[in-house]
Amino acid sequence: MPWNRPLILGLLIALLALTWWRLQPQADEVRRSQFMMGTVVEILAQGEDPSALDEAVTAAFAEMARLDRLLSSHRQESDISRLSLSETGLTVATETAEVIALGLQVARRSAGAFDLTLGRLKTLWALDSDSPQVPSLAAITATLDDLGPEALMLSGRMVRKANPALQVDLGGIAKGYAVDRGIAVLKEHGVTAAAINAGGDMYLLGQRLERPWRIGIQHPRQPNAVLVTVQVSDRAVVTSGDYERFFEQNGKRYHHLFDPKSGFPAQGCRSVTIVAESVALADALATAVFVLGPLSGLEMLKGYSGAEGMIVAADGRLYASDGWAAYQVEP
Amino acid sequence: MKLPWSYMTVGDWLVITVLIVFAVAGMAWVAGAPVGSRLVVSDGDRICFTATLDQHRTVELEGPLGRTRLVIDNQGARITGSPCPRKSCMTMGPARQTGDLLACVPNRILVRIDGERKKDSPYDLLSR
Repeated sequence: MPWNRPLILGLLIALLALTWWRLQPQADEVRRSQFMMGTVVEILAQGEDPSALDEAVTAAFAEMARLDRLLSSHRQESDISRLSLSETGLTVATETAEVIALGLQVARRSAGAFDLTLGRLKTLWALDSDSPQVPSLAAITATLDDLGPEALMLSGRMVRKANPALQVDLGGIAKGYAVDRGIAVLKEHGVTAAAINAGGDMYLLGQRLERPWRIGIQHPRQPNAVLVTVQVSDRAVVTSGDYERFFEQNGKRYHHLFDPKSGFPAQGCRSVTIVAESVALADALATAVFVLGPLSGLEMLKGYSGAEGMIVAADGRLYASDGWAAYQVEP
Repeated sequence: MKLPWSYMTVGDWLVITVLIVFAVAGMAWVAGAPVGSRLVVSDGDRICFTATLDQHRTVELEGPLGRTRLVIDNQGARITGSPCPRKSCMTMGPARQTGDLLACVPNRILVRIDGERKKDSPYDLLSR
């Protein structure tokens, strides 16, 4: 065989190998998504060992699924469903007690704007069903009786209900707590750069490609547009908006962020974005600020060091807390 | 003594030239592919559809509740029809950048944009 034939064959193999190598996905990144907690949870972890990353991500998903089984109001066996069904209260898991403790703290400091006891009200509006509707004023008033932060008492792991009909709803905080625990698991596995995003409740661990993570904040009235971009490391970012879940009746928008005082959707804001040290706190604060409205909401935020917020008011005007500018990227 | 390349025939040179041209063109094509160039649809467990974003089309994706309509056009990929009760998937706007997600949770349709991410991307994740 002429000597140049192996040369051609070798060149062909080398070129194929080079092309194959170039087409491989980045090996230092694992990205997986799962349906969980009524939303999509995505975990993106970076590191040098793909198999270790994969193991860490699997463990984080398992932990979040465990918390979903404890905290979901859609699962009959969860602590929250059992609590809602009980007459006077019951002893719950440590994690459930932690979430309720944080929720009650934000509820008190927001003068009840954040409320864990709106389960019956949300059922009445049926926003998650095929046929959401504006309930009668009488029905709303009846539902709001005996609600509020005082209607739920926590002592250690014991939760007491002031009203047997009270239904607990952790929708404004449980996802955030699960993300925090998922991040803790990733850290335990040695992951130093990752993001967990549970339907917009997200935590950004470490850095992305040797710079802080850049998070686009959606414009509340233009689905195609990003309103602003923030840069964060080791921080939670949560946005609550009236565009997420809503229906329209007689030309009016009715969304899922209810004002516990009126029983109707809060009217002061279009969206609220919070940057904080934990997702559970950011989650609860986003709801509280949305219900309070721009001015009262910013006032309440001052009581939380390390939490900053940006608000799009109902008239479209932008408000931000004093420290927000440190996160925002100039266009 | 003859030099090694003096054994090469015209056909050998032709084969080598064609190989190099194809390899260089292939590398340039891969390197020049737009960021966020591939769309992947899964049901949470397995991939059920993939496409490139430059192939404009409308597809019907089967889920447990029925068919979700996905449109791929100049704006990116967006859901324009869904059997789910809240239709919130239809208000999410388009996904067009690597990492962007669209989801219809009730119908278990998850649309993700894949591709190489550049350091100068405007954002890594979207808070919505």
